[in-house]
Amino acid sequence: MFAAIARRLSALSRRWARRHGIDASPCTLRARRIYILPTGLGFAYGLMLLAMLAGAMNYANNLALGLALLLGSLGLTAMHHCHRNLHGLVIRAAGADPVFAGQSARFRLILENTASTPRAELVVENEHHISTPLQLPAGSSVETQLQIPATHRGRLPLDQFRISTFHPLGLFRAWTYLHMDTHCTVYPRQAADNDLLPVTPMPAPGERHGTPGEEEFAGLRPYQPGDSPRRIDWKAYAREQGLQVKQHAGAQTQPELLDFDALTGMDTEARLSQLCRWVEDANGRDRRYALKLPGVNIALGSGSAHRQRCLTALALFGL
Amino acid sequence: MSDTATTLTTAAFSRVLRWSIAALALAIAPHIPHLAPWTLLLAGSAAVLRLWIDAKGRELPAKWLRILIAFAALLGVLHSYRTLNGIEAGTALLVVMAGMKLLETRNKRDLTVIIFLAYFALFAAFLYDQQILLLPYLLGCTWLLTTTLMRLHHSQMPGLRAAGIDTGKMLLQALPLAALLFLLVPRLPGQFWSVPAREQAITGLSEEMTPGDVSELSLSSAVAFRAHFEGELPPPRERYWRGPVLQQFDGRTWRRLAMPQPRQSIVAEGRHYDYRITLEPQERNWIFALDMATGWDQNRAVRNADLLLIARQTRFSVLTSFQLRSATSYRTSEELSPVMRQFTTFIPTNNNPRTVALAQQMRAAAADDISFIQNVLRLFNTDEFYYTLQPPALGDNAVDDFMFDTRRGFCEHYASAFTVMMRAAGIPARVVTGYQGGEYNPIGDYLIVRQADAHAWTEVWEAGRGWRRVDPTAAIAPERIERGLQAAMGENEPVPGRMLGNNALLSQLRLAWDAANTFWNNQVVQFSADQQRWLLRQLHLDDERWEYLGIGLGLALAAFFGALSLYLAWQFRSAPLPPARAAFAKLSRRFAALDLARQDHEGPRDYITRLARAQPALAAQLQQIGALYIALEYETAAPPDALRRLQRAIRQLPLPRASRRAQRSPAR
Repeated sequence: MFAAIARRLSALSRRWARRHGIDASPCTLRARRIYILPTGLGFAYGLMLLAMLAGAMNYANNLALGLALLLGSLGLTAMHHCHRNLHGLVIRAAGADPVFAGQSARFRLILENTASTPRAELVVENEHHISTPLQLPAGSSVETQLQIPATHRGRLPLDQFRISTFHPLGLFRAWTYLHMDTHCTVYPRQAADNDLLPVTPMPAPGERHGTPGEEEFAGLRPYQPGDSPRRIDWKAYAREQGLQVKQHAGAQTQPELLDFDALTGMDTEARLSQLCRWVEDANGRDRRYALKLPGVNIALGSGSAHRQRCLTALALFGL
Repeated sequence: MSDTATTLTTAAFSRVLRWSIAALALAIAPHIPHLAPWTLLLAGSAAVLRLWIDAKGRELPAKWLRILIAFAALLGVLHSYRTLNGIEAGTALLVVMAGMKLLETRNKRDLTVIIFLAYFALFAAFLYDQQILLLPYLLGCTWLLTTTLMRLHHSQMPGLRAAGIDTGKMLLQALPLAALLFLLVPRLPGQFWSVPAREQAITGLSEEMTPGDVSELSLSSAVAFRAHFEGELPPPRERYWRGPVLQQFDGRTWRRLAMPQPRQSIVAEGRHYDYRITLEPQERNWIFALDMATGWDQNRAVRNADLLLIARQTRFSVLTSFQLRSATSYRTSEELSPVMRQFTTFIPTNNNPRTVALAQQMRAAAADDISFIQNVLRLFNTDEFYYTLQPPALGDNAVDDFMFDTRRGFCEHYASAFTVMMRAAGIPARVVTGYQGGEYNPIGDYLIVRQADAHAWTEVWEAGRGWRRVDPTAAIAPERIERGLQAAMGENEPVPGRMLGNNALLSQLRLAWDAANTFWNNQVVQFSADQQRWLLRQLHLDDERWEYLGIGLGLALAAFFGALSLYLAWQFRSAPLPPARAAFAKLSRRFAALDLARQDHEGPRDYITRLARAQPALAAQLQQIGALYIALEYETAAPPDALRRLQRAIRQLPLPRASRRAQRSPAR
């Protein structure tokens, strides 16, 4: 029953916390949005103090009363420190790397302590994940990641998360809810390894045909942004010849067209999954490929930037 | 609200467990003298067992076993103390249960409960003992406990020193509020939950007197009470502190009269003394007022038919103070009732015949009662009577033995013999016990009366005047009355404190320490509604209303919250920017009025370019500022005076008012 009430209260407080809408990034925590309540142990501490007060009054014992009052004041001081531990903290959303559906999205958050006093034991959490307590020395910042399981392709919002602290004595917990406008692109789940092959190899004039695996080294060309790091000739770089990219004859001879419409007898998600698989396969073999979706045409290309563009198109298709 | 979300690592748990046990042991240490040994043994074994389990990585004892032991321990406490109520049983229970709790301690929450139990043990220690010496120890324990609490709630388990400094600061911050609350929390007049009295043997006057009793008391240098006089002190020969009156005599022992007596009203004559008496804990509720109490708080005390002041509470378990007024010269308005006359002239027949015969013979020779009394006192004074703390044992006819054979005695021998002689002569007489004298403490300006000052004297009934004090000891050893026991006793008598008394420095130290203790006792231990009222009067709130205390409490809390918030805001203030960045931020602030503040995404070079485009007249200076800033911030070797030049350039950058206005209007 208490759990139900607690859940209810938590939902209410979240809605209340959200009344101001989305937080800017960076966001500095102000007093008005920080909540603080005694923990279970804090309540136990309070009960102990009440018992002490009753005892001290009963025996008219001033020193016992003094101890009870000192501990009570200590509790209130700890409450202040707990609140201050959050107050003024700066939080930045630092984006999230795209993931495939079924993986966990990792949202990067940067906590920045601009104060000249350390902050301790800050915990970042949401329903899915809780960080280890973070320590921020004076004037420092620390990056933490918040994980959310990515179940569907599309744009996964970070949604609401909480920053809380029990510091210093564990008697109080101060927390705040944040909602930052940051998303993680979730690519479709890759289809399982199967026999399906891109059905429309693109015949290009004047290019040699070869079988996969028999790719021949064809020479070096200067690096261009977007080239796969795996194709960089690192030995040449070590010889201080600058960044050179290895060119393979086979890679250039087999461009592929990954066509949504060519996949028949499957629903949209399955087709997207299959296309996703092909993109990854083609990228893994350094092939050149083009992607064709209804309403989306991505021209022939290769490299990580191309891959990302294709996968993003798949992720957001029809959304 | 799960606060165990972050769990301790095994190593950290082991460390903090050891610290918690150590802190618990220190908190329990003050209770060792008054705890049943088996409870300490049980808790100690539990602690050792828990540490062994931790060291060897064993399992904790099974739950049913723990419950069984805890239940047995509960029964054990009930058996040892016959109750679970009261300080002693409560403390024993606390110790036993802390031990049991250790056996099921496996996480942060359990350790926190251990810390809370230790806090409670400290609290209980104050219920036993309010000595000034105990205070630093208990405060130190509080500090250690709080430090341990902080360490165990910190995932990184900070070092003892770092956490100790942090909690020390927090305790210091809490102290002002605690002090204010201490002054303002209303004090209750009495107990609202009665608890069994503590079993404790305290020396003090008893309800009967057999010659030989008081002299045992005289070997104790324990303090009986202290008296702080407003104005002049009574002279030594008037320092009689009245205790119980003994009227029943069986030939050997004097006892209090166990029947109701008519009350007598007192008419005070001459001057009176106002003073505050602070009594040490004692078994009875007797207030040893100076001679005849004439003014006291009717709600707290009553004067009985023996003219002894009695507190309405049953005993003084802690130091207790009373504000009193006394007269040393007074008379009784009523006549002695026939029944009382009979009682106070009664002596058992066939007992002490020689003394009776002597008294009757002396009375016959004297002209009147007054001269008879003088003659008896002269007899004590001139005959071979000795005043000693080591009187010989007396036989069946104790008074006869003393008067005619041993002739050595202490105040109770003389009071007893003198009273018997009065009664034998038909004069109503009775023995009064109490204290006589007192040591003046010039440092604290008060009198210290010790158990060694216990005394017994006689009161005789004088027609038309009532009970009058006659002290036969004054006849045999006048220096006892004038200068105290030490002065009256020979070199080989075992007087307490003689060593100290003979050394001036030690004596001074002793008095200073007693004064410090008394100040502590009066101002802190004894702080009560009286002092609160005085405090309100000092604040010119003469109308003593408790609402003021409430308002004061509210103000104290508000002041505390305000002050602490300000302090913490200062503590958490933003760290100052490095000088170069501060100078550049100043540049941005100066241009903010022209809507040309630096944007968050803007690098210094872009910003300078934008500024130069908006303010072409300043372009050259702005480029210089930009170059200096970039050199300072991003280059490894900036020119040595770059910072100074940057600051000066920014300071001297002209921003004409006209251009500012001109710039602003098209921007909007």
